[in-house]
Amino acid sequence: MTHLTMEQLLELREPGIEPGTAAQREHLEHCEACRLELDRLEQRAARLRALPTLRPARDQWPRVAARVNTVRRQRRIRWATAGAMALAASLALALLVKRPLPAAPATSSEQELSSLMQRSRALEAAIGAYDPDARVLDGRTSRVASDLEDRIADVDRRLERTELAAPPGTGGPDVMQLWQERVGLLDALVDVHVTRASNVGL
Amino acid sequence: MDSHPIANAESVVARAREGDAAALEALYRAFEVPVYNLARRICRTTEDAEDVLQETFFEVCRSIGRYRQDGSLWGWVRTIAASKALMRLRRNKYRDADELHDDVMEHRREDTALRMDLEAALERLGETSRAVVWLHDVEGFTHDEIAGMMGKTVSFSKSQLARAHTRLRKWLGEESLG
Repeated sequence: MTHLTMEQLLELREPGIEPGTAAQREHLEHCEACRLELDRLEQRAARLRALPTLRPARDQWPRVAARVNTVRRQRRIRWATAGAMALAASLALALLVKRPLPAAPATSSEQELSSLMQRSRALEAAIGAYDPDARVLDGRTSRVASDLEDRIADVDRRLERTELAAPPGTGGPDVMQLWQERVGLLDALVDVHVTRASNVGL
Repeated sequence: MDSHPIANAESVVARAREGDAAALEALYRAFEVPVYNLARRICRTTEDAEDVLQETFFEVCRSIGRYRQDGSLWGWVRTIAASKALMRLRRNKYRDADELHDDVMEHRREDTALRMDLEAALERLGETSRAVVWLHDVEGFTHDEIAGMMGKTVSFSKSQLARAHTRLRKWLGEESLG
């Protein structure tokens, strides 16, 4: 007498009708050995399900959270940098449109704005070269850096709104003030990352 | 029915989608143990299982916006965990070694008439067979789902399950068919 194979026994446990299942079931009705084997199979699966639950020895959440925060920070920096570049481009365009031909000498406020934008780009380049996301920060420093990044993103949003609301060239003092604020925050961020790192010899 | 229910699941998921750190941690705390258990039963080492646990929840945090609430939350997390665990096996090339292990070392194992307990027998199974028997018999994945996650055929999944049970039966000292 040919008994059912392990694959055939396993098929009998699957939901739905498989090809050949009817013949296998008929065999099972008349074969005590196969019924015993199927019963053992069921018991084995039940014992597998009853094995003790294994638990992690260490809490992994801090690592997961740190990785999630790193990705968010990278996204914020990318967004802020892209926003700043777009603003710089639109401001440059606005100044060009406003400027009569032949070009008049730049006013002191235009020069100051241009200088602030250059300073802003230089500071971002310094932060980018330092690559803060690849470095380990202590909890307090990380919070300070994260707070500064949030404030930079907020300045960028305000700059964008100011530029959108005002006709080209009319948002002068507000725009200047926001760029000054942005440079100040970037300065602080460079201080947190680069200066601190060099002080401790990283 | 969700085998690992979480209190206020809808509210927690909604807040997690907004990036609320406390909600994301609540998801981690709710499913940390079953995810680790699944990973540890499939992976060879505790370090691999811990990595899978981290990878799984990083993916959960990243993709919670794509979770459709028509299925069970545990079912969604479990699928991510199983995929990550199987990916870990592939990355470590365990499966290739496993096939060699199964084909060459198995004869030696069969010669040893030692009766093992289920835990030890499961541990001794090849990586692929162990993954299939755990995912199918314990976690409740279908052969279709297992085949999809492994990038193999349904027949492959079925034959690996049969192979696993044949070995477990022998190692547990259960009688063969007469």
